[in-house]
Amino acid sequence: MLEAHDLTKTFRTRKEKIEAVRGIDMEIWPGEIFGFLGPNGAGKTTTLRMLSTLLPIESGRAVVSGFDVHKSPHQVRQRIGYVSQLGGSDRLATGREDLLLQGELYGMGRREAERRADELIEVLDLAEFASRRVQSYSGGQRRRLDIALGIMHRPDVLFLDEPTTGLDPQNRANLWVQISKLREAGTTIFLTTHYLEEADALSNRLAIMDHGQLVAEGTSRQLKQQIAADSVVVSLQDDGAGPEGAMRLLQEQDFVREVSAESDHLRLYVDDGVTALPRILRLLDQNGMTIKTVTLSEPTLDDVFLRYTGRSLRDAGQPPGGKDPQ
Amino acid sequence: MKTLRDIALLYRRSFVQTFRVPVWLAISFSTPLLYLALFTPLLKSLPGGSEFPPGINVLEIFLPGILALMAFMSGASAGFSTIFELQAGYTERIRVTPASRLALLIGPILSSLTWTFFFMTMIVVVAEPFGFPIHIAGLLIAYVLLALLMVLFASFSIAVALLTKEINSFAAVVNGINLPLLLLAGILLPLELGPAWMRVIGHFNPLYYVVEGDRLLAAGHLWNTTIAEGFLVMVPLTALAVVWATRVYRRAVS
Repeated sequence: MLEAHDLTKTFRTRKEKIEAVRGIDMEIWPGEIFGFLGPNGAGKTTTLRMLSTLLPIESGRAVVSGFDVHKSPHQVRQRIGYVSQLGGSDRLATGREDLLLQGELYGMGRREAERRADELIEVLDLAEFASRRVQSYSGGQRRRLDIALGIMHRPDVLFLDEPTTGLDPQNRANLWVQISKLREAGTTIFLTTHYLEEADALSNRLAIMDHGQLVAEGTSRQLKQQIAADSVVVSLQDDGAGPEGAMRLLQEQDFVREVSAESDHLRLYVDDGVTALPRILRLLDQNGMTIKTVTLSEPTLDDVFLRYTGRSLRDAGQPPGGKDPQ
Repeated sequence: MKTLRDIALLYRRSFVQTFRVPVWLAISFSTPLLYLALFTPLLKSLPGGSEFPPGINVLEIFLPGILALMAFMSGASAGFSTIFELQAGYTERIRVTPASRLALLIGPILSSLTWTFFFMTMIVVVAEPFGFPIHIAGLLIAYVLLALLMVLFASFSIAVALLTKEINSFAAVVNGINLPLLLLAGILLPLELGPAWMRVIGHFNPLYYVVEGDRLLAAGHLWNTTIAEGFLVMVPLTALAVVWATRVYRRAVS
């Protein structure tokens, strides 16, 4: 459905050269939701804009729905839907008018556009406000209209660029339901997000992007299993010796994959936390070390992110309002 | 065919939306009226009014200038909507559809042009009882010349908006270019009233040719070298501006 090979993009300003996308390879299969996860500024939007014909591809190649993006942008446009972070609904138009214009620009006849608009008004629950002007909509209402605009012409692939950014939790949950419904209806969806929960909840497969490169790719489950399955965080009573002794001791155990010291505690990655936990406790106790607290957690995508980028996703972003370059 | 349909669709959108900003309609009409009401009396009592040909109503000199000003301003301000549409994400959304790039540019421009023609006609009708003689044929040709002017500056303005992307730079560029063009076109008063050097510079200003041709046309001359010069300057320039702005639409716009 979508393939990209060695996609790159560099922005040049007078002062500097920003390599926004540095050689991306990926493949998206029909009917799946592919999540593109990364902090602000990772190059997600730039990649999306290249795949959706908005930005010229500098080098590399992309094929969407059977057409080369560079050679046949027109055919690609006919087959994709794109919902940008800004949305793009027309403020002075009513929601319904906007849907009709969208359908007609994609070549639908007036009748066909009307039928489809009514269908989407029903499916995305827009009836209450579809005949009002867009400028009066709430954030959540506008977002639903944006998505309706994106799928008006029944695209093969729908690109959603951070669809829930700026929405309150209730509207976010609501939108997740709508997006899942789209997949059930057979739409292939390419979704970017910097919310771990969102990538986890919605996507069949996902890729993690950082500094213009894909650092990991797979199902959420695979990615979590690739890194040590569970993590155990232990903090010890300070006995003056520091945590080095405990670290050395734990590293020697074959059920422990990895140990790292973080400020006043140790983080252990283990295959199976439930069986490892008693062994860790016993071991430390036998060696005369006193445990203050211990927590066991199943892996999250943040662990995956931390593992591949050396940073926590929650810390990796720019200040709010920062955007991907261009 | 597809292009024509897209132009019609986007024309309709812009045209309908104009009604939804009544304030814009009111100002578009009142501005030229204010010029007529508050500027013409000054001309009448200008000392040494002998520079005007005897027996001619000042409106005959002044009103065609106002019409040119309306066409020019309507064109030059076209980019403001573009900036808002860019910031609302509308431009990007519409660029990702298969709609013709020429249609993205020209649909809204033709809608503004329709409104400009409407207001120009209203102004002519209002001025007639005050002594402005209406020469229909001449005026119609003048409308064509002014349409070229409007499309030229609208294309330019929209392209600058797409390239600058934000209101401050856009306004600075457009205003910076507008003022010298307006002053050196003799749009309110003919440059013939000024010193020779102004006329010399004026010859490098496309707007000058439009204003000169437009005055003669409004006075009922249908064809002479000045009018021909107006068209000779405007047709290629307008074509060039449309091609350029369409290319800007086709290329990357963030």
